[in-house]
Amino acid sequence: MEGLAAVALAIALAGLGFWNLIVRRNLIWKLLGLNVAASGAILFLVALAHRPGARPPIVGLGPGPSADPLPHALVLTAIVIDFATLALALVYVIFLTEHRHTQDVERLERDEERGWPQP
Amino acid sequence: MAAALSGVLAYLGLGVLGLIGAPRTFSLLALLGGTVSFALWTPGFPEVLVGGLPWGVALAGDPWAVGLWALALVLHATLLIHARARRDAFHPLTTVLIGTCLAGSLSRDLFNLYVLMDLSSLLALVLIASGRRVRAVWAGLQYLVLTEVGLTLYLFGLGLVYARLGTLSVSALAGQGPNLSDPALAAGVGLLLAGTAVKTGVFLLGLWLPQAHGQAPTEVSVLLSGIVVKIGVVALARLSEAFPVGTVLLLLGIVTGFGGLLYALWERDLKVFLGFHTVSQLGYMLMGLGLGAGTGALLYVVAHGLFKGLLFLAAGEAVERVGRREITSLAGQLSLPVAVGLGVGACAIAGLPPLAGFAAKGLLAQGAPAWAKALFYALGLGTAASFSKLIPLFRPKEGGLVGGLPVLAAAVLGLGLGGTVLVSGLLNLRAWGEAFLIVAAGYGTYLGLRRIHPRLPRWGFDWAVVSLLVGAVGVAGLVTLGWL
Repeated sequence: MEGLAAVALAIALAGLGFWNLIVRRNLIWKLLGLNVAASGAILFLVALAHRPGARPPIVGLGPGPSADPLPHALVLTAIVIDFATLALALVYVIFLTEHRHTQDVERLERDEERGWPQP
Repeated sequence: MAAALSGVLAYLGLGVLGLIGAPRTFSLLALLGGTVSFALWTPGFPEVLVGGLPWGVALAGDPWAVGLWALALVLHATLLIHARARRDAFHPLTTVLIGTCLAGSLSRDLFNLYVLMDLSSLLALVLIASGRRVRAVWAGLQYLVLTEVGLTLYLFGLGLVYARLGTLSVSALAGQGPNLSDPALAAGVGLLLAGTAVKTGVFLLGLWLPQAHGQAPTEVSVLLSGIVVKIGVVALARLSEAFPVGTVLLLLGIVTGFGGLLYALWERDLKVFLGFHTVSQLGYMLMGLGLGAGTGALLYVVAHGLFKGLLFLAAGEAVERVGRREITSLAGQLSLPVAVGLGVGACAIAGLPPLAGFAAKGLLAQGAPAWAKALFYALGLGTAASFSKLIPLFRPKEGGLVGGLPVLAAAVLGLGLGGTVLVSGLLNLRAWGEAFLIVAAGYGTYLGLRRIHPRLPRWGFDWAVVSLLVGAVGVAGLVTLGWL
């Protein structure tokens, strides 16, 4: 049951993240939404590795069956990638803020249509 | 296997070393290392698990790897000649990016492909934005966010497939003969397909692609269209090998082929126009994969990498020299080498013999049923019609820079000649006549369409995300409902 609850939570997180990515106008909010959605995917992988009554897949944590170690290994990589993505994207948000004095997507789009007039 | 891996390592390592100093030298060394490694491991090697049983990462030197390596090495050599003056981090970043693509073509593990696709997006963003123009940064940021949405979906699909089948190696998956009547598995496969389609730039799912490719600096556009998009195509090829998803790929191919073409027909910005044609040409590759014509799709991938590289190199040179981007305002402004490069590229993409596009289209059409052939012809006709816009550009001025243009032009001609001779049935008058007839009909269509200026919908960022999610659910739904 814990596994199923975690899967439901993962999907809810992804939905919440994508929702924020779509409806927020501020770029930083959007990026945080994307990051929350990505955390949902990570939780999803961890939840699927769960076995009833299993211990964490770490050597030396005692006898008994362990959770599937492979998704845990994958997740480590995915976490690093998500961090890199968020950090890099924020660098360019800073660039846009310095040059256009806004983080509002609608304003950026309007400026784009008008050929980027001097702010 | 060891040779191929050391080639990849040489690219990644020397690329990083280039950040410290002497970037062009290290990039050149990487090209040398990569070429030696390529010479050592061709014509291929069987699948191995790197890292040992049972969870090693599967690698193989199959025809896709050979094709992509050859393409990447030619493009890298061109860039080294062309981008001699580029300073900052251009050379190190392109070296690492090419290394990523080399690794991606060898990989036969779905998670490994995810990591490489993601890494290539991050590097591509830095390169797109490297000109520090607001336009390019904004296009690049949208590019990153949309591909990340796609790759998040991919991760969900990965989880579902792993939970059901317990492996992520393409060969092991194919060996199990997965049965897509299980809804969880089918949804997983659908999400994998949709995620990869976003990354590849399939129409509706990848509306970011033309702007990002168009706004990037010249040499970066060459790499993006030449090989970065192609890792996505390789991933789709792997997916079609592991799961029976031919029909969905065929459908995606038709939509992306004609959708991209529709936008390309009326696009006025030269480089964005070429970006829309990358989308449209993906249609050929996806339809080839969907029809099970793997070799044809692979030849198209390589041919497209070469001629689109040539087109972007020439177009970028023209845009940077003249300082304007609209096709009409560039008429009569191009130097002779740039005009010749653009002309050769345009003839190749339109499928004129004996250039690369002709051979690739010929091989694709060979095994195809009649209706698919008709679609290929229609797509070819549309391509010729939209490229007819460029005719006023072919009145060149004297002088101008040559750069890496001859390398790619020679590669387009060489691959075309080789392909025309080797692919059976292309060395006769009928095939050549057909090719010229299609281009002539395309020009006629252009004359007819010239007076019409429809307003095609342009979607903002939010709608791009929405359309992408809806499209992804649609693809997953198609697979789940068993329209296979």
